[in-house]
Amino acid sequence: MSRNSNMKFLYVGIAIALLLAVLAPFLASPDPDGLESAASHVVEKSKLSNLDENKPAVNAPMADYSIKGLGKGGEVAAIAVGTLAVLVISFGFGKIFRKKA
Amino acid sequence: MHIPDSFIPLDQAIIYWVIALPFIIMSMKWAKNELDEMKIPILAALAAGIFAIQAMNIPIGMGTSGHMVGAVLVAIIFGSPWAGVLVLTLVLLVQGFAFGDGGITTMGANILNMGVVSGFVGYYIYSFLHKNLSANIAAFGGAWIGLFISAIVCAIEMWLAGTFPLVPGLITMGTYHLIIGFIGEGLLTSIAITAIAKSRPDLLDDSFTARPDKSKKEVHA
Repeated sequence: MSRNSNMKFLYVGIAIALLLAVLAPFLASPDPDGLESAASHVVEKSKLSNLDENKPAVNAPMADYSIKGLGKGGEVAAIAVGTLAVLVISFGFGKIFRKKA
Repeated sequence: MHIPDSFIPLDQAIIYWVIALPFIIMSMKWAKNELDEMKIPILAALAAGIFAIQAMNIPIGMGTSGHMVGAVLVAIIFGSPWAGVLVLTLVLLVQGFAFGDGGITTMGANILNMGVVSGFVGYYIYSFLHKNLSANIAAFGGAWIGLFISAIVCAIEMWLAGTFPLVPGLITMGTYHLIIGFIGEGLLTSIAITAIAKSRPDLLDDSFTARPDKSKKEVHA
């Protein structure tokens, strides 16, 4: 284990993540996920409208991994921005909380 | 499996936050004790990769899709389910606040289901299977069952919330996540473990998770 090989792991990880960000808007299934799909089957129709996913407690700036008016390109950008945000946050977290030598 | 705000009443959502908090704090303690400078790039790469792969929903038929969660993969590499809780907490924070994927009030429940339940169940099943089976097969079994159990827990939470009826909820959530867990979690975790075993076998043996004082001499190598 060396610092260099761990940095290489990081770069490969970033490359795979950004590749996924570019592909996901085109390849990801638009079908509802397991929880939403279950909701549409087991919850009565009258109650279903109260479970609208589009009524969050806090409005997210890039809801549904999209940027208003930018179509697929916006989706790629949104996922890429999220990926880099997670990267920076986990790196920063690691630096702050790491085991001090 | 990201629960939106509207699926759990606020009082119950707060209870899940209260249950999740000690796990989150423990995961930070894990970082303080185990996460040395060398491991930070690995943690960051896994977190970023898991965020991205969660955007890649895989169709499973029946008009339904699902995606990898990733807590078991992280737990296997770091040799601790607390690492999975930590990474899923960071990923869910960004997903909830920036993308509205999973609610803010329900984030405690989502951290519990995807970080704690899937990660702990999956990691310990992996550890048990790995005594007699290769890492990639053990990883497949652990990741698959871990995701399935977390979906069962989620279905019970939905029942307690008054959102899903108990038995149909368990059957539907269970069926979907047996399939999602097989493909999205089990196979992908196994593929990732196989790739890491080829390129970075040290990440899977004890030299990576050993106490840094044991491996210190390698740091400057």
